[in-house]
Amino acid sequence: MAGFQPSVIYQDPKAAMRWLQDAFGLEVVIYIEDAAGGFVHCQMRLGEALISVGEEWAEEFKSPLQLGGKNTQLTSITLDGDVDAHCERARAAGAVIVAEPETQFYGDRTYRCRDLEGHHWSVSQSVEDVSREQALDRVPGLKITGWV
Amino acid sequence: MVSPFTPCVFYRDPMAALRWLEAAFGFETSLLVTDDSGRVGHAEMSFGEGRIGVGEEWGAEGLLGPAKMRSPASLDCVGTQFIRVALERGIDDHCAKAEAAGARITQRPADQFYGARVYRALDLEGHVWCFDQPIEDLSLADMEKASGLTITERLPA
Repeated sequence: MAGFQPSVIYQDPKAAMRWLQDAFGLEVVIYIEDAAGGFVHCQMRLGEALISVGEEWAEEFKSPLQLGGKNTQLTSITLDGDVDAHCERARAAGAVIVAEPETQFYGDRTYRCRDLEGHHWSVSQSVEDVSREQALDRVPGLKITGWV
Repeated sequence: MVSPFTPCVFYRDPMAALRWLEAAFGFETSLLVTDDSGRVGHAEMSFGEGRIGVGEEWGAEGLLGPAKMRSPASLDCVGTQFIRVALERGIDDHCAKAEAAGARITQRPADQFYGARVYRALDLEGHVWCFDQPIEDLSLADMEKASGLTITERLPA
């Protein structure tokens, strides 16, 4: 299956795995360590989709902890279920809620948070089918190509 | 299956990035939202069943709250995430095409112990992309034997 899999970099990937399990309900699919018990690689899943949790394994990767909280990418999660309940679970696990759940003009209800090392996540649930015309009515001045 | 995970990648020049990602990696722009001045508010690209978001540094500040989204080009070529891209076939040709379009290949296509052939490349602003193509279905025991690593399906104690 062709597709994209985000790989998120942490200083302490073992702690991150536990946090992502508690906060977002992700499950460990594969965990790899070396002979000394050191972390090598981990994949976690939501439904059938995978995400990788990694450490700072090459010079081109750093946790936001080392970059004053800056991120070069963020991961968006689309839920089947209740985004408000997901937000409360994340908050209880220590997520910093940057934007509380709010319904957006394009029909998603979304909240945004920071995780234990400062990675940003955007979590959404589709609550309304919005056409291109409706979206343009709601936000005048936008130009939209390819809305289906 | 459409993945619930959509990586969103930030660039200094997202319009140039969309063109480059189409030419180098074969992704397709599937959604482009621009404002009155032609700036990219939001863009999406697709590749097979996969989807990514492409945005501008700080460009989506209103949507993101106080986040600081920066391109690796603004951070000494360092990134906080990278993206694995699954290919069904043709990984060596894919690498050659990417390199011809200006990708910096940081790891040439090579077979890995976990039964995939993998190459790694930097895009025009330094984001890391890791392409992999399955070559062999291996059991966890096979992978452990080939690598000397310990491989489990649960959290470590």
